[in-house]
Amino acid sequence: MDLLLSPQLLFSALVLGSTYALVALGLNLVYGTMRLLNIAHGDLIMVGAYAAFWFFTLSGLSPIIGLPLIALICAGLGLILYFAIFRHQLENVHPVERIEANSLLLFFAVSVIVQNVVALSFSGSPRAYRHLDEVYHLLGVSMTANRIAALVVAVTLLSAVVLFLNRSHYGLSISALIQNKTAAKIVGINVSKIQILSFTIGFAIAGVAGALISMTEQISPFMGFPFTIVAFVVIILGGLGNIKGGIAAGLLLGFVEIYVVVLTSANFRSILIYGLFVGVLLLRPQGLFGKTRAS
Amino acid sequence: MTALNGILKDRVLLIFLTSLVLTVFVPDLFGSYWAIVALNLMMWVSLTQSWTLFSGMTGYISLGHVVFYGIGAYVVASTFKVLPLWVSIPLGGVVAGVLALLVAIPVLRVRGPYFVILTFGLAELVKYIVLNVETSIGKSSRLLFGAPTIETLLYIMIGLAVIATLMTKLVSQSRFGRGLSAIRDDEITAETVGVPVVKYKITAFTLSAVIPGMVGGVIALKSTYFEVLQVFNPVISFTVVTMAIIGGSGDVRGPFMGAAFLLLLSELFWATIPQIYMILVGLFLIVFVVFAPNGIAAILWPARSRDSQ
Repeated sequence: MDLLLSPQLLFSALVLGSTYALVALGLNLVYGTMRLLNIAHGDLIMVGAYAAFWFFTLSGLSPIIGLPLIALICAGLGLILYFAIFRHQLENVHPVERIEANSLLLFFAVSVIVQNVVALSFSGSPRAYRHLDEVYHLLGVSMTANRIAALVVAVTLLSAVVLFLNRSHYGLSISALIQNKTAAKIVGINVSKIQILSFTIGFAIAGVAGALISMTEQISPFMGFPFTIVAFVVIILGGLGNIKGGIAAGLLLGFVEIYVVVLTSANFRSILIYGLFVGVLLLRPQGLFGKTRAS
Repeated sequence: MTALNGILKDRVLLIFLTSLVLTVFVPDLFGSYWAIVALNLMMWVSLTQSWTLFSGMTGYISLGHVVFYGIGAYVVASTFKVLPLWVSIPLGGVVAGVLALLVAIPVLRVRGPYFVILTFGLAELVKYIVLNVETSIGKSSRLLFGAPTIETLLYIMIGLAVIATLMTKLVSQSRFGRGLSAIRDDEITAETVGVPVVKYKITAFTLSAVIPGMVGGVIALKSTYFEVLQVFNPVISFTVVTMAIIGGSGDVRGPFMGAAFLLLLSELFWATIPQIYMILVGLFLIVFVVFAPNGIAAILWPARSRDSQ
């Protein structure tokens, strides 16, 4: 019982949960506004992680300072992909189920290409770097500076995105598009402009998440896939396209994972993740927090 | 019976099946390296053909077909030297079919993206459950000493490829197959006009699992060892989908074209620079999804593919 209430565990769960929320946020934006199933999402996280690694190794630039640059790189990748492949799908393919199926295949291809281009350029072996790894003690919790930084950045960015979606003109347009594309079009929202915006924001957030993850974990060209899975579990839990639900679900998953692993064993982590995933899909496909909505 | 008659009159199909069967001469003519290539080709043809039986016809994309392959391999590996192979390989197919039947009832209630990621998630869930079971009984991998020769396995695999092809063809020409196509075009309309949607979907899903179950068993024998992460590798599911898309699933020759095309690419590049092979697979997949969604078969034989669409 002492173990369960320990602030150390709480801290780990918060860090993991906020990372998961951030990892899933980008995916949710892209799915919610365009119905594109981005199974290359984890690979964008990998790209962000590699960008952070190279900036740090080559010029000593701290990933925290370099975040805007890393976000820009992933956003640029997003723009290229949008105009090269996905704009055509969004404009010419009907019905929406067809776009979903095609996007899955296309993003699978993108995933394979990105992974292997990175493996070809920088070799497939894992890499890591040491940055901000001094340990602080606070209220009986030992934490490394990079975890604190990751937590602070993740929480700031999550709050900023929620504020942006609720308050700004563009953000409200994105929310409207998520809720109802046809209605959004009727009230005069420039749908394709908003789609480009959410596509690039989604990619940029993935890059930032990757940079944060690279500070505490080994990176490799094939590190992305588990994050894709986590991102899907989270947005399914929160309800596809439900941004706030997704953030809550990310935090929840972080907590559940940490506490289940502590109570049982690390072997059960995968069973837990997929069990939760399958269970929610079967019992509540609209998500834990979702209202019933035609899929 | 009319369907069977149709098959006997179908020259294209007969020529295709004959050429599949002619693969039995590969080991004698070209040696054991090409026998393994032929075995791989037949394996992918069987898997892709089975996949199109359900996913090609109904439009429900299954990303978890590896689970049936893996469970078949598991049955054969865990009963190796206990049951004779002529029992354990078909048993792998039966177990895969039963598993498909059990999961079909809840899984097929969901549609679209939910279905796709659910099949994927289920396959991974089964993988980790099997992995934990194997670890807890202290078997991280199993060696299968005294498995049949590559030639024997090739003959079995050719048999499976022929059965898978015939099955898909028979289904596509039957009332059942037309029902499945109707589901793909518009499920609600299909139900309204009296297609027993639920029954058809469950039957097709189950049928499409049986052959992969047996294929998995044969492949476990080929590699002479069984390792959970390898036989349940999700890359197998993705490869099957890629082959079906590139080859085209509207024509029985499509899965063959897709499998042959990817194997050719892999022969050319895998040994030297595997990354180049993977990048090319990705590029071709994009090109086909965007420009030729009905695959190579529809490019080579346009009229016929349109008929069966």
